[in-house]
Amino acid sequence: MTDQLPNLGREAEMLSAMNLNSIDELFADVPLEVRYKGELPLPEPQSEEELLRDAKRLLGANRPLSESISFLGAGLYRNYVPALVGQLIRRGEFLTAYTPYQPEVSQGMLQAMWEFQTLTSELCGLPVANMSLYDGSTAAAEALTCAVRVHNRKATQKDVVYVSELISPAKRSVIFNYTQGGGIEVRTLKHTSDGLLDLSSLSLAKGACGVYVEQPNPLGLLDGGLTQIKQIIGENTALIVGVQPTSLGVVEAPGNYGADIVVGEGQVFGTPMTAGGPLYGIFTCTEKYLRQMPGRIVGRTIDNKGAEAYCLTLSTREQHIRRHRATSNICTNETLIALMGAMHMSLLGPDGLNRLALRNMASCQLTKQKIAELTSVAIPHIHGHHYNEFVVELPGSAADCLSYLDTKGIIGGFDLSGWYPERKNWLLITATDQNTSAEVELLVAHLAAWSSAKIQGLSA
Amino acid sequence: MSHLFDSHGAAGSGWSQPEPLLPESRISLPANLIRRKMPQWPRISESEVVRHFTWLSTRNFGIDTGFYPLGSCTMKHNPRVNETIADISGIAEIHPMQPEHHIQGMMAIFSEMQKMLSICAGMDEVTLQPVAGAQGEFAAMRCIQEYHRANGDEMRDKVIVPDSAHGTNPASAVMAGYQIVEIPSGPGGFLDLEVLRSVVGDDTAAMMITNPNTLGIFEPEITEAAEIVHAAGGQMYYDGANFNAILGKANPGLMGFDAVHYNLHKTFAQPHGGGGPGSGPIGVKSHLAEFLPGPIVKRRPLVEGDITEASDEWWFSWYEPKNSIGKVHQWHGNAGAVIRSWAFYRRYGRTLKQMSEHAVLNSNYLRHRIHQLASEAGIGSMIVDGSSAKFVKHEFTLSLSPLKEATGISALDIAKGLLDQGYMAPTIYFPLVVPECMMVEPTETESIETLDKFAENFVKVLQESPEVLHAAPVSTPVGRVDEVHAARNLTLRHPME
Ligand SMILES: Cc1ncc(COP(=O)(O)O)c(C=O)c1O
Repeated sequence: MTDQLPNLGREAEMLSAMNLNSIDELFADVPLEVRYKGELPLPEPQSEEELLRDAKRLLGANRPLSESISFLGAGLYRNYVPALVGQLIRRGEFLTAYTPYQPEVSQGMLQAMWEFQTLTSELCGLPVANMSLYDGSTAAAEALTCAVRVHNRKATQKDVVYVSELISPAKRSVIFNYTQGGGIEVRTLKHTSDGLLDLSSLSLAKGACGVYVEQPNPLGLLDGGLTQIKQIIGENTALIVGVQPTSLGVVEAPGNYGADIVVGEGQVFGTPMTAGGPLYGIFTCTEKYLRQMPGRIVGRTIDNKGAEAYCLTLSTREQHIRRHRATSNICTNETLIALMGAMHMSLLGPDGLNRLALRNMASCQLTKQKIAELTSVAIPHIHGHHYNEFVVELPGSAADCLSYLDTKGIIGGFDLSGWYPERKNWLLITATDQNTSAEVELLVAHLAAWSSAKIQGLSA
Repeated sequence: MSHLFDSHGAAGSGWSQPEPLLPESRISLPANLIRRKMPQWPRISESEVVRHFTWLSTRNFGIDTGFYPLGSCTMKHNPRVNETIADISGIAEIHPMQPEHHIQGMMAIFSEMQKMLSICAGMDEVTLQPVAGAQGEFAAMRCIQEYHRANGDEMRDKVIVPDSAHGTNPASAVMAGYQIVEIPSGPGGFLDLEVLRSVVGDDTAAMMITNPNTLGIFEPEITEAAEIVHAAGGQMYYDGANFNAILGKANPGLMGFDAVHYNLHKTFAQPHGGGGPGSGPIGVKSHLAEFLPGPIVKRRPLVEGDITEASDEWWFSWYEPKNSIGKVHQWHGNAGAVIRSWAFYRRYGRTLKQMSEHAVLNSNYLRHRIHQLASEAGIGSMIVDGSSAKFVKHEFTLSLSPLKEATGISALDIAKGLLDQGYMAPTIYFPLVVPECMMVEPTETESIETLDKFAENFVKVLQESPEVLHAAPVSTPVGRVDEVHAARNLTLRHPME
């Protein structure tokens, strides 16, 4: 590709400087039997214009949520990213840097990450934050392994952690993969029929290394009972809370009700869904977990003249120093996406955050109120307080309903039988700050039509 | 200095947004969950945010600012059109759980990437789920573990790793539940087959190795190594961080590897952004395919009733391997990085091996120039090759031990001296097997002029006085940073009043 290889056509010049005749001489040490034979069976090279045409055709065949009416969430939420973020992040000094191993020429990224740490630390109500993990699910999983490292010595239930039974199978699977190698047993915490954590079962978790719950929980419920957990489980068991970060603009920060570690899917700040990645996992904790935490962290320091400076610190936890004794294998992380998050958070300010949270809550609760007026569907947790999403019980399968809504141009939500196989008729409806009242009206009208037809069909 | 939190407390109501769809009085929240004190985020206008982050950017070095020969990290130019493509709403605004018929175009790209990656590495099946090299290693170790368990081989609990391996290799294997057997490199930095023979056994689960290895040299006895490991019942794992040296030239499948990861952000394209994101798909031979994390895209010929604008031939669907280890990331991996890497590969297409050829050409050329200029300056003996190999691949290592002994100047000092010359420093003190190591990877996107100039400046820095170098850098935004002070006086966030 001529426009990307500056020395194309100048190979002879370089080779002769080395007294060589062909590039293949540089590969002479590669045994014949392992060489790639022939030409790669790949398409013709493309110019930028041709490539862009193909990209637009293929990606244009997708149906983006920004051009749809959508009530799909279930862990990843449609958001609005201010224009500034996409433009500033493309500054090459940010975009094309790597891990700031040389702090003297990386002060910009280091300070930005230190500010990111401050922003997320303030958000979650805990003093320590790292530079990001891969996503919310790996942040949850690494929080659990971190809790075991910190608490196992004193634990009476050694190598045991407790996780809410509602957590999605994907996240549960990530947690399993990250914990099984350390011989950690993951037990589940039950919920009552109103969708809230069964606090009476929590005493079981006493003496274990950690407890992982979510606020709002996977059914969209804000659970006031979580504020009592720390009292029940005590000092020697970590309370880990997974949050939807925007909710913290109205909902109490878990750090203020006893959480030891708070994690979350950072995506809502700074980046569109991007089909599920790149995202970034937020990881914040108390000082007790600092030396066992995964991931990179920036500290403020001074230079040789005493001037303010920043650098990576506590690296002795990390794989490049500690190798097989590292707290985690993470190396490449999601710094750039976290930086996008920092830009978005800086723009919002506390008042903008509060407004954003209220918008998310209002969209959800308006949708819930409207659907509650329908007699053909039920809302199992009608008396709960919802953020972003809630469950609707249908008179037929959620899969059916979603196909019907799809023919009307509506992405109606998430079929919860994908998480809880016995819940064939449960639909998880999500409304974010990006939904309008007109969209809500349309959803309700079509849901009414489908469900009453279904009921008539059933009784006929 | 510009500080984000200096502006805290100013008036203003933050980023303006539409009204919520319900008035606050009609929104319900459990009383004990009402946030009592809002986070102390700054209160600043858009112009101030722009100025602050722009100022920060001027204090940061990237490939766009200058030559970035950071060994093992492959800091090459990534075509800018990739960013334009990643911004298209057909990828940016896609929810991973949308029905298949909404995302046929994206799945077509995934399918093409799976195929391209399996062809290039000689593997049978690829999953795009892992989001970084380390996560690919971890996922592959889990697949190998399940494979052994399925064969009743639970007692295989050891993973062999050369001492020159990247730190993620042992860390990933341990996270999967393995114990590490580290083996010393042989003469010249090559794998020592005798040592390997002495450690394999019926407890061997796998060996992890990168080729070219971290000294930048090709392991000529790699097939013999694979035979030794296989004969003991172990699996061979290829750390693909250095695949950019041999793509289209050599084939990991033929070398005897059973599983590989690809660092899309290194070999292909995804700007590294101060530490990430990346993407670390894994490829495996057919016997491991049933264990891969899903979903994987499969395709079938179109039939009556399929409506798609993505392809005239194929319908794409998600597929979960039968005995999948499950997930290592919540969704389908870093789709945005996969799309950028697709855009990168499409521009080379069948000529992709030119990328590796030029990476290797540039690396050997720079190595040659440095030695040439150093001996002309009479300091040739101050730097020695990390390996005795005649030619290197995409990167090379230098040991500055003689310099250190003669003058007290360390690899760190030289690194700081290079910063003063306007360069990012090479990787230092890795691999661990080379004392006072500098690991240089120029990549294929640097011109002869840049390489010549760097060689000149490098040799110039080698000749600087110890006083100057101990005090370096002096022309950077801050002077030499006190990392010990940072660790002793932990200040990990802005202190609020
Ligand atoms: C040789 C080698 N192996 C593995 C890795 C890990 O890859 P990643 O940083 O994408 O997790 C790296 C890169 O940092 C590397 O250089």
